[in-house]
Amino acid sequence: MMQAVIAAQGIGKGFRTGGWGPVKQVLRQVDLTVAPGAIFGVLGPNGAGKTTLISILATLLRPDAGQAQVLGLDVVKDAPRLKERINLAASGAHFLWCLTVEDNLRFYGRLYGLGGRALRDKVARLLDLFGLAEYRATTFERLSTGLKQRLSLAKALINDPELLFLDEPTSGLDQDMAQHIRAEILRLNRETGVTMLLTTHNLREAEMLCSEVAFLKEGRLISKGRIPELQQRLGLGDHLSLIFQDSPAPLDYGALPGVLRHAVEDSRVDLVLDRGDERLPAILEAVYLTDKKLAKVKVKPVDLEEIYREITH
Amino acid sequence: MRLRTNLYKIWAFSARSTLVNRRNVFAVFEMLFWPLIGVFSVGLLTRFLNLQADTVSFILIGAVTMNTVQIAQLDLSYALLYSVWSKSLKHEFIAPVSLSHILMGSGLVGLVRGFLVFILMGCLSVYFFDMDLRRPGLEGLTFFILGMFFNAAIIGALVLALVLRFGQRAEVAAWAFSYLMLLLCGLYYPVSVLPRGVQFLAQLIPLTYFLDYFRHFYGFPAASPHPLLYGFGQSVIYLILSYGLVSLTLKSAYKRGTLLRLSD
Repeated sequence: MMQAVIAAQGIGKGFRTGGWGPVKQVLRQVDLTVAPGAIFGVLGPNGAGKTTLISILATLLRPDAGQAQVLGLDVVKDAPRLKERINLAASGAHFLWCLTVEDNLRFYGRLYGLGGRALRDKVARLLDLFGLAEYRATTFERLSTGLKQRLSLAKALINDPELLFLDEPTSGLDQDMAQHIRAEILRLNRETGVTMLLTTHNLREAEMLCSEVAFLKEGRLISKGRIPELQQRLGLGDHLSLIFQDSPAPLDYGALPGVLRHAVEDSRVDLVLDRGDERLPAILEAVYLTDKKLAKVKVKPVDLEEIYREITH
Repeated sequence: MRLRTNLYKIWAFSARSTLVNRRNVFAVFEMLFWPLIGVFSVGLLTRFLNLQADTVSFILIGAVTMNTVQIAQLDLSYALLYSVWSKSLKHEFIAPVSLSHILMGSGLVGLVRGFLVFILMGCLSVYFFDMDLRRPGLEGLTFFILGMFFNAAIIGALVLALVLRFGQRAEVAAWAFSYLMLLLCGLYYPVSVLPRGVQFLAQLIPLTYFLDYFRHFYGFPAASPHPLLYGFGQSVIYLILSYGLVSLTLKSAYKRGTLLRLSD
C-alpha cells in the first residue's frame, strides 16, 4: 500500500481570545489521510477551521494536540526538512509591493536555496508557464488580481513541491479568472502528479477539482470520502422528475431499481436515484409500458451542496 | 552544497533589502537627508556657541553615531516589517529559512548602509567643521565602527522580537529603541551629567563604552578603565540574549498563530 502524503491523527488547536481570555477551540480531534497524487478538498463555512488545519500541516502553526505526518515527516519535529518539499498558495496573494514579478520569484527561489543558472532557468520556466513573462518587470502593486494569483501559484511551484497547499485559491477572483486558475490547478496535478490539499467554501470548485473531500464544521471533521461514496453513505442521489401529461403512471415507484426515495404530487413524480445515469433507461421503459404520456423529464445530478447541507444541518 | 544553499538564503534577504532601498524614496531620505540635517544642525550649533575644537568633535561624534546606528539597525528591523506590511510573512516562513538567514542577510545591508552614512557624515564633519577623524587612527576607528554595528544589531534583533510578538504595532519601536539607547549612552554629553540612577542604566549599554573609548582620543578621559572590554563583552552577551529572545518569540509565534494573523 502506498504511503499517505498526509496522515494526521487527533489534531486539536485552540486560540486564546484577547490577551488573557478563554481558549476558543478551533480544531478538535481531526483525523485526515490524503493519498499521493490526489487533489483533496477541505470544505466548510467560514470559521470552520480550514485555514488552521492547512496551516498546521504546512508547518506554519503548531498543533496543541495530535500528530501529523506529512510526506513521512513530523510537522513539528521535522519542520525544517519538510519545508523543503512543500509550498503554499493562498487567497488574496500578497507579496512585497515594490518588487517586480521576477524579483519576487527570485527572492522565493533563493529562500529554497536556488541560485545562479538554476534559479534563472526556474524563474524563466515559471514565467512562461503562468503567462507572466510580459509582466516580469511589473511591480506587484501594479498587477491585476488575476495576475497576482498567477504569481502566487508560480511562487508555490518554485521548489517543485511534492505537496501543494492551496488556501482558497480562487477567492476574490472573477468567474473567468477563477475558471482559468482551476484549469491551471488541474493541469498541474495531471502533468506533475503533485498532491494538493485545497481549502474552499466554494462547493462547485471542490466538485470540479477534488477527487476526495472532507467537511469541517466548528473544528470537527464531520465527514470525508470520495463524492459518490459520501452520496451513498448519506442516502443522497440524483434527482429524476417525471412530469406526466395527465395523471402519473400507476407504478410502485419505491420498488423500482435504484430508487432511494420518491414523492408523487398531481401529475409529477420525483424520484431520488442512487445512480441516475444507469437507472434512467429502465425507469423510462417501465413508464412507457403503462401507456402514460410524459410531458417532461428532468434529471439533476446530486451535487456537493446537497451533501454539504445534509452533513452540516 | 549546504554552504552554497545557505549563502543563497542569506543573499535572498540582502538582495530584497537592497531592491527595496533602491526603489524607496524614504531610503534616500534616511541615508542622505537626515544625516545631512544631523551634521549641519549640530555643527552649526557648535559654531554659534564658539566651542573648542575638541568639544566640537565630542558633539559631532554623537551626531555621527546617532545616524550610523539608526540606519544600520533599520534594515534589520525592516527585515520582518517588510513582510508584515506586505502580508507575506507566511510565505517566508513556509520556506526553509532560519532566523540566522534573516538576521545575516538583512544585517549585511544595514552594515553597508550604516558604513556609507558614517563615511558621509565623517567627511562632512571633517570638511565643514574641522573635525580630526584621523586622530583615533585606523584601529580606533575600526573598533568604534564595530561597536556601533554591534549595538545596531542588538537593537534590530530586539525590534524583530517585538514585531513577531506585536506585529505592526511594534513599528514605532524600530525608531524609538535606538533613540532611547542613544539618549542614555551620552550622545552629546558625558554620562556623568545624567542623574545617578540613569547613569547606572547607561553603564548597561555597550555604546556608552564605545563612545567613551572613541572620545578619549579627543582629550576626554574614559570613565571606565577598559571601555573596549566592557563594550564588546556586553555586546556579545546582549547579542546572544537577543538572538535567544527572537528565537523564543518565533517559537511562540508558531504556537500562537501570529505568523498567520500577520499575513491576513
